[in-house]
Amino acid sequence: MITIRDIRKSFDERPVLRGVNIDVRDRETLVVLGRSGGGKSVMLKMIVGLLKPDSGSINVDGNDVLSMTYPKLRELRFKFGFLFQGAALFDSLTVGDNVALALRRGRATHELELTEGEIAERVTFALEVVGLKNTEAVMPSNLSGGMKKRVGLARAIVPSPRYMLYDEPTTGLDMETADEINVLINDLRTKLGVTSIVVTHDIHSAFVVGDRFAILNDGRTLMTGTRAEIENSTDEDVRKYISSSLSTSRTRLT
Amino acid sequence: MDLAAPAARAPRLHGPLFFEVIGRVTISFLEHLGMYFGLIWWMVGNIRNARESSKNFFSQMVQIGNDSIPIVIFVSTFVGMVTAVQSAYQLYSWIPRSVVGGLVIKSVLLELTPLLTALVLAGKVGATITAEIGSMRVTEQVDALEAMGFDSVSFLITPRILAGIVMFPVLVVFGDLLAVLGGLFGAVIVAHIPAGAFIAGMKSSFVTRDAVFGLTKATIFGYTITSIASYQGYYVVGGSAGVGKATMSTVVYTCLAVVILDFILASTLL
Repeated sequence: MITIRDIRKSFDERPVLRGVNIDVRDRETLVVLGRSGGGKSVMLKMIVGLLKPDSGSINVDGNDVLSMTYPKLRELRFKFGFLFQGAALFDSLTVGDNVALALRRGRATHELELTEGEIAERVTFALEVVGLKNTEAVMPSNLSGGMKKRVGLARAIVPSPRYMLYDEPTTGLDMETADEINVLINDLRTKLGVTSIVVTHDIHSAFVVGDRFAILNDGRTLMTGTRAEIENSTDEDVRKYISSSLSTSRTRLT
Repeated sequence: MDLAAPAARAPRLHGPLFFEVIGRVTISFLEHLGMYFGLIWWMVGNIRNARESSKNFFSQMVQIGNDSIPIVIFVSTFVGMVTAVQSAYQLYSWIPRSVVGGLVIKSVLLELTPLLTALVLAGKVGATITAEIGSMRVTEQVDALEAMGFDSVSFLITPRILAGIVMFPVLVVFGDLLAVLGGLFGAVIVAHIPAGAFIAGMKSSFVTRDAVFGLTKATIFGYTITSIASYQGYYVVGGSAGVGKATMSTVVYTCLAVVILDFILASTLL
């Protein structure tokens, strides 16, 4: 379980998060909605300690992330898979090595100690899952945006993480690829019981993958609830956000 | 009546611009210095994590060492030739011609090869390291490494600095040999000094301490260039424009650091 309490963060004295409160239950997919530049990605990076909030607390399985020592933080990160917005593939490594890297981590601490044969097997399987069979030798520069994202997803899921963090998983993708990614996110939850946080401003994808939703507005949590609760909300700001997002989504669909 | 913070309402008084600039530059320099030593402190304290990136260490040795050989060959050979020709030109006719050999070996071992190799590699190796790490920073690859559980400093920076410390002296030994051969070539072909006299002059002037001093300098330059370049890349901000700016800063700062250190080492060790 992940608990986020009253986190605040400013960059160059410009407040980005002004008090975010979110609970993520085990085996659910929580979608964080909000406008671009609203601090959603910042919040995601804070969960794995890549950024520190100015105040507030973040707990993962009862452990306070902000007070962890670096070795403990590294151990915690082994539980997570992180799909970055731009996939963040390593340019100098092949697709296969990019995915394998996630399995070679922690060798110094003897976590995830696998033979090269086992690593190759798991890499092949992960690439098959994301529909990129036999691409191990390809360099990331020769892949399209959607393919890069799928490799990023393969890299995130290959060590069988307990938690998955998705930063705008469908942004910039065509509808067909976006739907494929949505199916994969759903499969991970239903088949492997992975707990996920999806950050997006694409409400169409959000409703496909999400169990519960949190809406961030002006750096604060506007509302948290199920799809029905959000759609039936009487809060004016929530209604305004949902109707504008749905009309944008419809325009994109037509 | 508003009693709140009268100082905040008062117009800001500007002293002479000179003092403001000096103050700002000093604060910025100290801030960078603190962050640089913080990074090195982290690297040394977590050196065990570098075991995860032993493969990177060898690939960096190839990139820093092997890939720099052509430019070292070119620079060292010509430096040796020029030193021999200019030494011969400056010597009076009554001074034995074998002195040219002595001058070449002294200049090459003590100063020319370590310094010029470092200055050339400050551009080549330093700029490459900053551009690589900087691009990884702005495309979230550094974040991705950390999110996967890697120590990004040990993974990216430690192998580069260690490779620099190991490979710079190797390149300087190689450069020394080529500079001596270049000197011999310049002395014999251009200055018409008998090869025997040139070699005899070199032999009589050679002191092991000079070679050790040159290699010590190379090791220190190797560390300085790779560490400054890594620091600049690791803390890049501002997208690809930031990477370009940081790369330029690396070339400037590493060259400055090399010449300043060269003077300090010459003053203290010789």
